[in-house]
Amino acid sequence: MALFTRTTKNLILRIDEFIDNVELGLLVFREGIKAFLEKDQKTFLRHLHKLESLESNADKLQRTIENEMITHSILPQHRQEVITLIDKLDEIIDVLKSSLVDYNIEQPDIPASLNKSFLSLADASLFAAEELIPATRAYFRAPHTVRDKLLKIYYFETETDKISKSLKKTIFQDMNELDLAQKSNLRYIINRLEAISDLAQRAADLLSAMAIKIIM
Amino acid sequence: MILFFLVSGLFLGWSLGANDASNVFGTAVGSKMISFRKAAIIASVAVILGAVIQGAGASQTLGRLGSVNAIGGSFTLSLAAAFTVYSMTKFSLPVSSTQAVVGAIIGWNIFTGNRTDPGTLITILSTWISGPIIGAVFSVLLYLLIRRIKRASGIHLIRFESLIKKGLIIVGAFGAYSLGANNIANVMGVFVPAFKLHDIDLGLFSLTSAQQLFLLGGLAIAAGIITYSKRVMDTVGSNIIELSAEAAMVVVLAHSLVLFIFSSTTLSDLLARAGLPRIPMVPVSSTQVIVGCIAGIGVYKGVRNINFKLLGQIALGWVTTPVISGLISFFSLFLVKNIFNIDTGSKITDDNMDYYSSVVADENISLIFRYVLIGIIIAGSLALIYYILLERKRVKEIKLSEEKFWKNLK
Repeated sequence: MALFTRTTKNLILRIDEFIDNVELGLLVFREGIKAFLEKDQKTFLRHLHKLESLESNADKLQRTIENEMITHSILPQHRQEVITLIDKLDEIIDVLKSSLVDYNIEQPDIPASLNKSFLSLADASLFAAEELIPATRAYFRAPHTVRDKLLKIYYFETETDKISKSLKKTIFQDMNELDLAQKSNLRYIINRLEAISDLAQRAADLLSAMAIKIIM
Repeated sequence: MILFFLVSGLFLGWSLGANDASNVFGTAVGSKMISFRKAAIIASVAVILGAVIQGAGASQTLGRLGSVNAIGGSFTLSLAAAFTVYSMTKFSLPVSSTQAVVGAIIGWNIFTGNRTDPGTLITILSTWISGPIIGAVFSVLLYLLIRRIKRASGIHLIRFESLIKKGLIIVGAFGAYSLGANNIANVMGVFVPAFKLHDIDLGLFSLTSAQQLFLLGGLAIAAGIITYSKRVMDTVGSNIIELSAEAAMVVVLAHSLVLFIFSSTTLSDLLARAGLPRIPMVPVSSTQVIVGCIAGIGVYKGVRNINFKLLGQIALGWVTTPVISGLISFFSLFLVKNIFNIDTGSKITDDNMDYYSSVVADENISLIFRYVLIGIIIAGSLALIYYILLERKRVKEIKLSEEKFWKNLK
């Protein structure tokens, strides 16, 4: 029995730590993007390294959580969904890290006039992902409140789409001084930022179904 | 030869273990909260304890239904009931051992020309109806209570499930104990008057003749649980309605409470002392009670969730089981008496009220019993220790392989 209690306690701590990692990753990414747009390479690299370490820790935690859940037959009826949810959260932190890594390698040239729009896009997309964190925590403690918390994710995802569309339109229709390669590169960056809210929405869909299942 | 007659009782015990243990741990194993191996070990130990400690109450009621007064009769009707239970289990039909035994006893009554006591029969039949209803009410009330506590406490889902898992083990053990206490009457009740064995003194306590038979019957039930109940356990619970972990625990608890109520002489005495009517000590059908409990949850959640086709099949089984068992019992008694020339019992009159042909009171048989029981208990304990060591080794191996993985990654 003592073994069960210890396993349960450890698993709860690990899940909390994993969610903390993702939450922290979102904050670090926001700061990283800001530093990148302000061309502050030193701060950008500091955030990149921090994000790399968070992502690596999240991977390790994800594997440990999955192993413990299977080995000790924890949450047998909801295990698969919980594992998938954790996988989706891990995908978000993976995208955050790989985006910063790509920006560091490619060093895309973002026109200063678009800084504000890029920042708004990153903000909206990150807000969607950030709203996923309390919803995920609520699933484990108060599943009946999950669906209320998911509303904001869908709102910010739609906002992200709008900003992204308008930004792409500006780049491709109004900024003739940019060549096609640069335009394509900017579109790629926009898509990467947009992907964060898309992943958050997909996780929200799953979380919504999981909450219904557990309430019923 | 006299010990050979016990074989049919042991076969019935084995069938009961194979079929009815699924009522206790089926929901837990079906919902994957507990592994089959763990469930089988807990159920086996608890069922034996229940049979030995509290098995006497329900046996007396069966005795009143039909006082089988020859071991040949006990053997035949036990065999008929066991065959009915085994055949229906084999075809995955839900079956009640209690009903099979009651049907077989009535078959004996008809064969020997004895009158079936209508009062006792009505008492038994009424519990077949009240058992599932009480089970359904208990399960809904407990389910509401547990959900309210869960929501109000804001407990972490994993911690809650961990508590439910522990609860399932405790409640399952209680259920198996109650099953042993209540249903051992079906297995060994008809043999009790035939044996007058010497008490076995085990220092702290001693086992009477009836308790020795109940222990043997309990071991047969345990064998049925370990060898044949997995298949039934895997399908129970998820068939009528898909159960959540807390619902699984509630169902087992409600079922155990009903069985306990109908086999606790202490509780019945307490009620009598308080001026309330006594609870009849009747071997209730654990299958019917569990179906009642699950259906109760189903009704609470909305009738659309319930598999009515399966419920219909179960209800049909409740009617056909005693009839089939009664018919098999009647014709088997005819064959045993006329072909093998074995005494299967006679009509009870005022003169032969306490008569029982071929009562076993041999010292050697007592000794055989003693050694067989001690041998089985030692073998069971060794198997349990082996299982625990094996589990620990498995956990250690997984831990080592995980550590190796991260070491290699570095």
